[in-house]
Amino acid sequence: MLSEVPIKLTDIVLKYDDFTALDGVSFEVEAGQTMALLGHNGAGKSSIIKVILGLIAPSSGSVKIMGKSAQSSHLQHKVNLGYLPEDVSFYNKLTGREVLNYFAALKRVRPTRVADLIDEFGLGYAQDRQLKTYSKGMKQRLGVAQAILSEPGILLLDEPTVGLDPQASQFLYGKINQLKNKGCAVVVSTHELSLVESHMDSALIMSKGRRLAQGTSAELSAESSLKAKIDFGELASWVERDHYLRRFFIDGRLQVESDQKQHMIKYLVSQCQIFDFTIDEPKLEDIYHDLMVHPLLGLPAQ
Amino acid sequence: MNRITSPVLIIASKEICDSSRNRWLGFMGSIFLLLSLSVTFAGSAVTGSLYLPELASLMSSLSTISVFIIPLAAILLSYDSFVGEDESGTLLLLLSYPLTRLQILCGKLLGHMTVMLLATSFAFGLTAILLLLIGEQYQVAELIGAFAQFLLSSNLLALTFILFSYIVSLKSTEKAKAVGCLLLVWFLFVLIYDLLLLTILVSDLSFVNQYVVNILIALSPTDLYRAINLMAIEGSDARGSLAMISQTDWGLSGMYALMLLWVVLLSWISHGIFKRKRL
Repeated sequence: MLSEVPIKLTDIVLKYDDFTALDGVSFEVEAGQTMALLGHNGAGKSSIIKVILGLIAPSSGSVKIMGKSAQSSHLQHKVNLGYLPEDVSFYNKLTGREVLNYFAALKRVRPTRVADLIDEFGLGYAQDRQLKTYSKGMKQRLGVAQAILSEPGILLLDEPTVGLDPQASQFLYGKINQLKNKGCAVVVSTHELSLVESHMDSALIMSKGRRLAQGTSAELSAESSLKAKIDFGELASWVERDHYLRRFFIDGRLQVESDQKQHMIKYLVSQCQIFDFTIDEPKLEDIYHDLMVHPLLGLPAQ
Repeated sequence: MNRITSPVLIIASKEICDSSRNRWLGFMGSIFLLLSLSVTFAGSAVTGSLYLPELASLMSSLSTISVFIIPLAAILLSYDSFVGEDESGTLLLLLSYPLTRLQILCGKLLGHMTVMLLATSFAFGLTAILLLLIGEQYQVAELIGAFAQFLLSSNLLALTFILFSYIVSLKSTEKAKAVGCLLLVWFLFVLIYDLLLLTILVSDLSFVNQYVVNILIALSPTDLYRAINLMAIEGSDARGSLAMISQTDWGLSGMYALMLLWVVLLSWISHGIFKRKRL
């Protein structure tokens, strides 16, 4: 049981009449890993989450949650799933504590867990206030607390930081990282690329229901046409004159494929004494935009 | 809330809490009480002294008003049960929990039924107690029996309209559309159908015999409600077309069975729609 991959999707196709929402999507999320689901609106991110939750049966392909079919009629596996829907608005007339108690009761979670989470998420001072008095950040904190009530092995978060200030976003990702470190498999669907970049282990970039790119930051970078930029400061004029390096020298910096960085630096070290250099790797946001250009223009993806 | 372990009861208690917090329970209870007291003591305003109507006349008046107000209250209580939760994202969240759709439906139904039962019992129960205290002409057993029967039929009527609300709520994409559609349903059953039925009854058509009337009554929960209450009242002064409604040969228990059939049918339709609902 422990060796089962928490989330495993194989060649998922999801069709609604003539519309194909997901087209041959496959991925795995290991325990203790965070995968970011990226893509434009309508790319299929929420459909993937619903497929994992077992709320939608794919037209073809298989979805395994802890080795069992997500469509299993056995409900118990849902206790091990934590989920925060996009832009969820909890019951405004209930207090924060009542909302958590309600969801805890539905998952048969002990009441002391609710008290612990209220403290952990810094909601103690407002636990007996109705939700209509909560700020957006407080509601999101409550939402994440709800998602982790049962200390799930799988956590699915749909736009968890939308509309939050940077501090609140960092707080939520801090909590997500804590869970990840305890072995939870996390899937985060988001548009906030700069924020998720430092917290994800891998990403799946979707477009029009299809996988556009998939992998770690380095793998995604390799799939894009973007290059790492190496800045040698005072050595720039020397680099520019070097016969071999000249062709990589653009806009005052060496611009190379990510996997060629080490080779370049080794070459330079063999040629001269380097005091200082900086490497500017392509950011996830840049990779995303680079990969998205083709599908959004209707051109075939690379 | 945590002591309860049945998901149906957990959802039901949350619905009751919601209705209590948004003051629906208090508001509707007060409206029912106001109507009930107005009907009971209206004669006093005319005569200038305490005048209490005969029990049959009182129950007839109460059911005539309730047939309008109870379906409306049931609709207002439950129109956003599913479309509201769908809009706010909590329906999706609930479905990610270890719950079946049937449990969610039953939980909501039990909660809303309890709220209606509390509101009607408070209002009509208080009226019955007042009548017992000040109305010397009433026999205790007869009064309690009449009000108990009235409460039972009223809550069955409420149940059918709660289920109508669920069906519309499950099919709607916006709360505003759901409430608009349900007001049409209310208008159709409470006013239009009833008016058509009465028109058919008074128009002396050759094919209209008691059997046809029975069928026409069975096709509308509001007319079943009228029939139940007219039949239940001994010494009812219903005349003309109303008398024809009350003379149905299916009996009081047959009318209740038909009302229950409506509840079962609407529950089955609601569950069928919910099972197929794409989120």
